[in-house]
Amino acid sequence: MTRATSFNEREMQTCTVARMIEDGKTYWVAGAGSPLYAILMGKKMYAPNAQYITEDGVIAPEPLLPFDPIMSMVSARAGYRALGWATMNAAGNHAQVGLMDCGILNALQIDQYGNINSTAIGTYGERIRRFGGPGGADSIASLCWRTIVITDQEKRKFVERVDFISSPGYLDGTPGARERAGLPRDTGPWRVVTPWAVYDYNEERRLRLIAIAPWVTVDEVLAECQHKPVVADKVETLEVPTDEELDMLRSQLDVAGQMSGIERSGWIIWDGEKYARQTES
Amino acid sequence: MATGPTYIEVLDEGMGEFRMPDPDGYREWVRDHKSRALASKLMTAQEAVSRFVEDGDYLAYDCNYLQRGPSTLIREVIRQKKKDLWVAGKFTWVAVHLLIAGGCASKVDCGFFLFGKAIDRFVQERRVQIFEYSNVVMTLRLQAGAMGVPFLPVRSFGGTDGFRYSGAKLIRDPYTGQSVVIVPALNPDVALIHVQQADVYGNARVFGTGIAHQETAMASRKVIVSAEEIVDSEEIRRDPGRTSIPYYCVDAVVQAPFGAYPGECAGWYASDPAGVIEVVVATLTDNLDAYLEKYVHSVANDQEMLEKHVGVAKLLEMQRRVASKEGYRP
Repeated sequence: MTRATSFNEREMQTCTVARMIEDGKTYWVAGAGSPLYAILMGKKMYAPNAQYITEDGVIAPEPLLPFDPIMSMVSARAGYRALGWATMNAAGNHAQVGLMDCGILNALQIDQYGNINSTAIGTYGERIRRFGGPGGADSIASLCWRTIVITDQEKRKFVERVDFISSPGYLDGTPGARERAGLPRDTGPWRVVTPWAVYDYNEERRLRLIAIAPWVTVDEVLAECQHKPVVADKVETLEVPTDEELDMLRSQLDVAGQMSGIERSGWIIWDGEKYARQTES
Repeated sequence: MATGPTYIEVLDEGMGEFRMPDPDGYREWVRDHKSRALASKLMTAQEAVSRFVEDGDYLAYDCNYLQRGPSTLIREVIRQKKKDLWVAGKFTWVAVHLLIAGGCASKVDCGFFLFGKAIDRFVQERRVQIFEYSNVVMTLRLQAGAMGVPFLPVRSFGGTDGFRYSGAKLIRDPYTGQSVVIVPALNPDVALIHVQQADVYGNARVFGTGIAHQETAMASRKVIVSAEEIVDSEEIRRDPGRTSIPYYCVDAVVQAPFGAYPGECAGWYASDPAGVIEVVVATLTDNLDAYLEKYVHSVANDQEMLEKHVGVAKLLEMQRRVASKEGYRP
């Protein structure tokens, strides 16, 4: 494994999540983009016996890569060599009885208690910018034992309270709030991963910064949080991607370059002494 | 022996409008309208939509316009200018937008759909009312409808703002004494389901994963199945374990080759990426009127649409690009 010297922040984010994948565990992943790439990279490189399902009821597939860049679920490629083909209610019920160890999903906006908005920006019922709704994320966030959220490190995305709770985190943060709302016991948010940082939750169920990328400081990360998270006593430095990880990501998963092409996502270069973010001149 | 509470206490409830569940009314509809005879229900998309989709219906479709969904049937609903539909907008990208832009849908139960300028404008102009659920909560509502019960307890959805704008309730469960969310059963007036194979009676086979085709077929008053291929009933009897939907749930069978266009129909053809991008971009940029004019209103039916706007070369290419037939063919 060789540390890469040139990569995109999005690629770093996916590699960070891939390294969290644990062997022998089950994952319910959102059926496209980074969550799917992270579980596949994790399986192929670190945890071959991790398995995943998607909300259309694909159980433990060995997908034909690369995916169709737009539509992956209910497709022959995504469901290839699965151990089972079921339905959405089957996937939901498998999680509801506790079979899914961990969920991986994307978020538009997240708050201090890990609640996720994917429905609307603005005051609901008044003028809003409408988004797609929770899709499968509400079930993933409610029913998996723990949840990893992938989002951008942008000020407007880390807020005190989301405009609309589409998928539940720790709700109002009080002890037992999820259980009082009817959600299964001992479930909830576990990690948030951005291109710059990793967060967990402290005993008060508040978002806590625990690790940062080598090219940013804690203050720079906090500057990109509208609501400031708790900062751990010791903030770790994240490992950068390896050449092997990037090779897989670029040649098998993100072959269309969707990650590296995203705006607001910087390139990171090793300048001989340190990793530095390339800014447009 | 009972130790906990013995009554159901409603702790909280959403304020969203919803169709009141009516399990006995649904049973009576089924008794009076669902044919048990083994009689051919084969008809054209035009006839099926004309007979079975009515203004004001609650409409559910399985999968969606881009993913083995009933795209031919959705186009026909728009072509016939059905009005005031309430649409189950779960696991979908562009279908609800097409139905709103076509003047067909005025209410949507949201699980998931594509964002973009079109939906923003529809919401601002109040052309559509949206009620909030999730994909799985919607399929569980269909499950309740398919079981003939008025509601179903679910372990997700609690605590969300979606709950507040839905027909869900939070109750104290009389067995455990703990909080649990219940959601109202959904019995759509009409369902559109696309499958790979069916016989003329409506025995239908879905290959690959599905969203809730079985629940939807059992829960819906009128069921239109479109199929890539009409097979002989002897073929169904040779492999009964393959039957996903039994005939007595089904009211109309439509032969619809490339019926999921521009989406993929696993095992039969790959998607048309250009066709997918065309409708996605039209949705994101709010240019659906032009899209509908080209693919729906300027042609008499899907055969003419496929001839004029897709062409044999592309259709053959979609067939050649099938990624895998393993498990997708009998």
